[in-house]
Amino acid sequence: MAARANRGRLQCGMRWIWVFVGGGTGSLLRYLVGGWVQGATGAAFPWGTFAVNVSGCFAIGVLATWLTERSAATPELRTFLLIGVLGGYTTFSTFGIETWRLLESAEWLRAAGNALGSVAGGLAGVMAGVLLARSVP
Amino acid sequence: MIPREGKLLRIFIGESEHHRGRPAHEQILELARREGLAGATVLRGIAGFGRSSRIHTAKILRLSEDLPVVIEIIDAAEKIDALLPKLEPLIGGGLITLERAEVVVYRSKADAPGAS
Repeated sequence: MAARANRGRLQCGMRWIWVFVGGGTGSLLRYLVGGWVQGATGAAFPWGTFAVNVSGCFAIGVLATWLTERSAATPELRTFLLIGVLGGYTTFSTFGIETWRLLESAEWLRAAGNALGSVAGGLAGVMAGVLLARSVP
Repeated sequence: MIPREGKLLRIFIGESEHHRGRPAHEQILELARREGLAGATVLRGIAGFGRSSRIHTAKILRLSEDLPVVIEIIDAAEKIDALLPKLEPLIGGGLITLERAEVVVYRSKADAPGAS
């Protein structure tokens, strides 16, 4: 029993390492891709972040489908690539695949609620943060 | 061959269940083959929960890390009974069930009617 409990803890620890290393890799990728695209498109529109978000969604569509439907990939590999690398690249990819899965199961209201709520809630969060920071004497 | 009256063994575990560094479901499949069982099938579910009551689902990325895996093995009762003590140590948490199975067809392609 003790060995089994230890094994569980060990795997939990390994999972954190996959997320940690994958997340760092994804963040660096975002920094490079975002910087490159922004440098090539000027300063009028945040094309760098836009490109990262759209490419991250494309990548999670390919990888999530491939790793779960078309191969017997280990859950560790899925955690590393989908939650670690792509999550670090852009959380927008997680938002994308989760909203897509709601659409796939015809849960229109939840899908719309997630999409609109994320944008509205996100902007409201930014606004609240800005106002809070400015109000501090 | 399998007698008409066989047993269906079902093992429910999580896909991240490991034994000595390798997926438990792969090791169960290999064990069944080594022991000369009639056949085995590994299925992955898209959602489920077990003893811990924690929901796993492919729908939410964060809850998709340990999807359910079911291994089904059908054979004569004696073969299944002989397999069980070797199988049990391979899994940590999980569920094992046993039920009667009536075998209707068990053959290879070459034995099918009309096969040349």
